[in-house]
Amino acid sequence: MAQGITVVPSTRPTGSNRAASLWSQMRRYGWGYLFVLPWIIIYLAFGLYPLALSFYLTFFDYSFIRPEDYVFTGIGNWLRGLTDPLFWRSILNIFYNQVIFIALTLGLGLLSALLLYKAIRGGKIFRTIYFMPVVTSVVVLMAIGNYLVSPGGPLQALLLQSGILHQPIFWKFSNWLPMPVIALINSWKWFGVSTVILLAGMAAIDQQLYEVAALDGANSWQQFFGITIPQLRPQLFFLLVINVINGLQMFTEVFTIGYDVYGGPNHQALTPVLYLYGQAFDRSNMGYASALGLLLAVLIAILTLLQFKFVPSEA
Amino acid sequence: MLPARRFTWTTALVYILLILGALVVLYPFFYMIMNSFKPGPEILNSPTRLPSRLTLSGYAGVFATLNMWRLFRNSLILASSITILNTGLSALAAYAIAKIPFPGRDQLFSFMLATMMIPGVLFLIPTYVVMYRLGWVGHFYALIIPAAISVYNIFLIRQFIIGIPNELIEAARLDGANELQIYWRLILALARPVLVTVAILNFIGSWNDFLGPLLYLNNPSTWTVQLGLYQFQTSVPGENAQEIWASMTLITVPLVVIYFALQDQFMQAFANVSFK
Repeated sequence: MAQGITVVPSTRPTGSNRAASLWSQMRRYGWGYLFVLPWIIIYLAFGLYPLALSFYLTFFDYSFIRPEDYVFTGIGNWLRGLTDPLFWRSILNIFYNQVIFIALTLGLGLLSALLLYKAIRGGKIFRTIYFMPVVTSVVVLMAIGNYLVSPGGPLQALLLQSGILHQPIFWKFSNWLPMPVIALINSWKWFGVSTVILLAGMAAIDQQLYEVAALDGANSWQQFFGITIPQLRPQLFFLLVINVINGLQMFTEVFTIGYDVYGGPNHQALTPVLYLYGQAFDRSNMGYASALGLLLAVLIAILTLLQFKFVPSEA
Repeated sequence: MLPARRFTWTTALVYILLILGALVVLYPFFYMIMNSFKPGPEILNSPTRLPSRLTLSGYAGVFATLNMWRLFRNSLILASSITILNTGLSALAAYAIAKIPFPGRDQLFSFMLATMMIPGVLFLIPTYVVMYRLGWVGHFYALIIPAAISVYNIFLIRQFIIGIPNELIEAARLDGANELQIYWRLILALARPVLVTVAILNFIGSWNDFLGPLLYLNNPSTWTVQLGLYQFQTSVPGENAQEIWASMTLITVPLVVIYFALQDQFMQAFANVSFK
């Protein structure tokens, strides 16, 4: 930072001037430390300390019911997590859900961004509408979605009328339907984020690229796959990374749509965070729940690193 | 005139698809509002049909049975305390990191950015243990204090403050203003666009939060709107359909009103994410 103090013509001797400026600089540093202090205190108390505690807890059987009973179990909780079929079922469920969700949300986002980009007038109204579900709460949207896709709801009524379905589907109790249905509701809620981010990316693409391609005789499809998609790589990459990190930690969606902490009788809607919530607050296994949290975090870290390594993020 | 005709057909298709999309997005909201004015038996028997008559009994029922005012008050207290504290403190730290070159600043900032990589699920259990030991479970500050400042917001505000000319700040310093006065009078005014963005993110985040209140607010007198709605839905399955739809509408309307009033800032909040 430039120190503009020299701008002022000084009448005082240089020595005391330097001392004064040093003193004022020290005072500024003091303010600087003071301004970042709240973050440091809060992060120590509710960031670093819990992290260390979490790691520590994984080596114990610890419950709120009998807090005085710490039983050291070594890496027992880790091994238990790695061999727990319910934990793996939850991982499988969330992967199944996320593959469908990410495909839908990126596809819908790309399509709507493209349409908004082509719409010369009135685009703003549509953008505002598409973004509305994003600001609405998950609890409310899951409740509405639940009614819309329920066996007596409008979506199934429409499918029955058109002959696609022959009888109502009680999807919540099915073994493999809850995850795609929740992914569908979720993509309706979140695709607006992709729309806004991809639209901003499209607006930033150099128009000359299209003009040159058009002169070379490239049609709209060729321009879309040859220019638009490659130019949007940073945005698509960002959305992919963010969706994977957030999606793997899904909880509120399955919990508020009406599943218990075990994701239903056949664990058909069990997600990792739902499972660790159940272990912590239903079974009071804080140590085991901490181990599950760490395993999930490791998995997220590995997936994020893999994306950085193998998915091209630059145009 | 083939090119001109092709152009209009494309345009027509674009608008047809846009309108179709808007209808699909809006229908669930319409469905919610429609059912909130529908007589109870009709909601169960013909959920998709328009109401035969409009009734406000669902809304009356919500205020009679659910203590809606208290839920709103709690949500408002939580969301506005988090919004004010987080925006103010994040801006304070962002100012120091952007404009005060204290020793260790760059290392601290790198560390802050690194902490953003840690997934939130890791903090769920141990933070609960910490709050439990502090005796904060059941109190609002269990939710407010950890949310009082956040790296992502510091980062967003810093990006903006860096663009403020140093001359302005130097001029204020020469006028004898200390750093706190500069922050209060100059930075808060000049960084207003990004502060509005951050405030919006804070407010919708905390208004819509479910897991936090579920973990920490175990006493019904402290429930938020989201938690109240969930408890209401699960405690009386199949019953009180009118009240459920009315309460969902009530919870959603304030946010949608704010959203329409500040829609440009909302878009900024999401479109401004930076790419490496």
